[in-house]
Amino acid sequence: MISKTKPNKKLLITILLIIIPLTTANCQLTTDGNILSFQNRLRFGNYLYKDQDYLRAADEFKEYLRSENNDTVVFRLANSYFQIGRYTEAAGNFKGLFFNSQLSEEARLMFYESIFFQNDYKLFRVLAEERNFDSSLYGKDIERLKYISYFLDNTDLPSENIVLKSFPDSVQSRLINFYQQKKFPQHKSPTTAAILSTLIPGAGKIYTGEIGDGITSLIATALTTYLAITNFNADHQFRGWLFSGLAAFFYAGNIYGSAASAQIYNARIQFNFDKEVKLFFEQRNYFLPKVDY
Amino acid sequence: MFVFSVKAQDHLSIQLDLANNLFNNKQYYDAITEYKRLQFFDSTKTFNYEINYKIGECYKAGAKYDDAVKYFSLAELNARTDNELFDSKIQIIRTNILRRTSDRALQLCDELEKDERFNGKRDEINYWRGWAFIFADNWDAAAKSFAKINSNHELIKLAEQTEKAKVSVTFAKVISYILPGAGAIYTGNFLSGLMSLGWNLLSGYWTINSFVENRVFDGIVVGELVWLRFYRGAIQNAEEFAFEKNLEVSNKSLRYLQNEYKGIKP
Repeated sequence: MISKTKPNKKLLITILLIIIPLTTANCQLTTDGNILSFQNRLRFGNYLYKDQDYLRAADEFKEYLRSENNDTVVFRLANSYFQIGRYTEAAGNFKGLFFNSQLSEEARLMFYESIFFQNDYKLFRVLAEERNFDSSLYGKDIERLKYISYFLDNTDLPSENIVLKSFPDSVQSRLINFYQQKKFPQHKSPTTAAILSTLIPGAGKIYTGEIGDGITSLIATALTTYLAITNFNADHQFRGWLFSGLAAFFYAGNIYGSAASAQIYNARIQFNFDKEVKLFFEQRNYFLPKVDY
Repeated sequence: MFVFSVKAQDHLSIQLDLANNLFNNKQYYDAITEYKRLQFFDSTKTFNYEINYKIGECYKAGAKYDDAVKYFSLAELNARTDNELFDSKIQIIRTNILRRTSDRALQLCDELEKDERFNGKRDEINYWRGWAFIFADNWDAAAKSFAKINSNHELIKLAEQTEKAKVSVTFAKVISYILPGAGAIYTGNFLSGLMSLGWNLLSGYWTINSFVENRVFDGIVVGELVWLRFYRGAIQNAEEFAFEKNLEVSNKSLRYLQNEYKGIKP
């Protein structure tokens, strides 16, 4: 009896050894074996989503959602659009989760984020102030985002206390600094610069901080004027008129250049301020909580 | 269960055909999606080399060179034979040539050359080294590299002609120091060269004339503000013209390679 059962056991083990690898192979596929089934599309979409290939993940989620509605998938679809900068589509999809969804609060926050990152800050503030889609969980974050938006466009800032109260203590002094710079920018007047250069060539440039340029302009205008006079005195009419023309050119050019220099100065101040503010908020992720599902 | 497994394998083969069709039809975005789908469902990793290689090719065709290098590197890791390994390494070199990281391409060529497994593929290595030199604007070295393959290689002539057609930036500057405007004339900008020479002669005359008439201060000012300005300008112009001329010559050869050359390109 024993001798009969042994070969059977061996045979069984051999068969199992052959079958097990074959059946476990391609285990990624679900039982229907169809790579393009809705379930497989969802699994593939989730893989792409984790791999941060959001554009392709969105396509897969969209296909899956044709078969079945699933809040997490809708959220991931919206977040995929958000991640690739398609904020309008992201906002539209987040909106679909506002009611009767467990992800309602997160979707509301992400909806406001989508509007915010479209850079249409006026629309964002209108929506935030209407409070139609207010979030009980993330209301303070949305409000903070509203105050951040004031730093990022040309709208007049609300009073300092109102703006600053939404932010943590650790950044208060930095924000006060930004607030003061935004409210009272250190601009130079192009008219003043032009008038100064009319009176003393180069003075307008010195006023706008271009000291080297200002002194050069003064010397160039003075020298060409001097050369015009000495050439006229030496009876070199052509050279006299040539240097007169050059002197007039330097003089007029300096007046125009001073006004332009003031405008460039103002633009530079504004550019640096915008860059600094943007970097400050970007580094802190706009004080937003990380939300993902 | 066995039947299911075979069926699944069929699905993967069909999926590979679909991805390859998209690739052959140059629908690279969709091809990448389908290759990635195949990669995800192919748990046996049977097609891992082919998939990564093809995805790399898709990204390369779409000028996403960083992604292309990433996938060719994955193909390299999954290579089963020396040939597959060599092909993926060559693709990395070709992508580096295209993204103008020629130094990296040359470094990889050197590494491949030192590898004894690829002793029989020296010609191919030298061919891509030549291309790397072309994209590094070193046509002389490119010619030498092609010459190692075959002394009559068609790209040797092109590389030599390009090198010959180029002008010397240093020579253009030096002759402008001696005779203002000569550098511009040397680079083929005759009108600019003659104008430069004229301005220098006129301003030089004014400067000397002022000294002759004992108007020393006038002489210094005109010499400094006018003559030196034109003199320096002539030298700077000669340098710029020489650079432009060389760029034009290189671009002409690159245009030929892009549009008319029938051989394999990066």
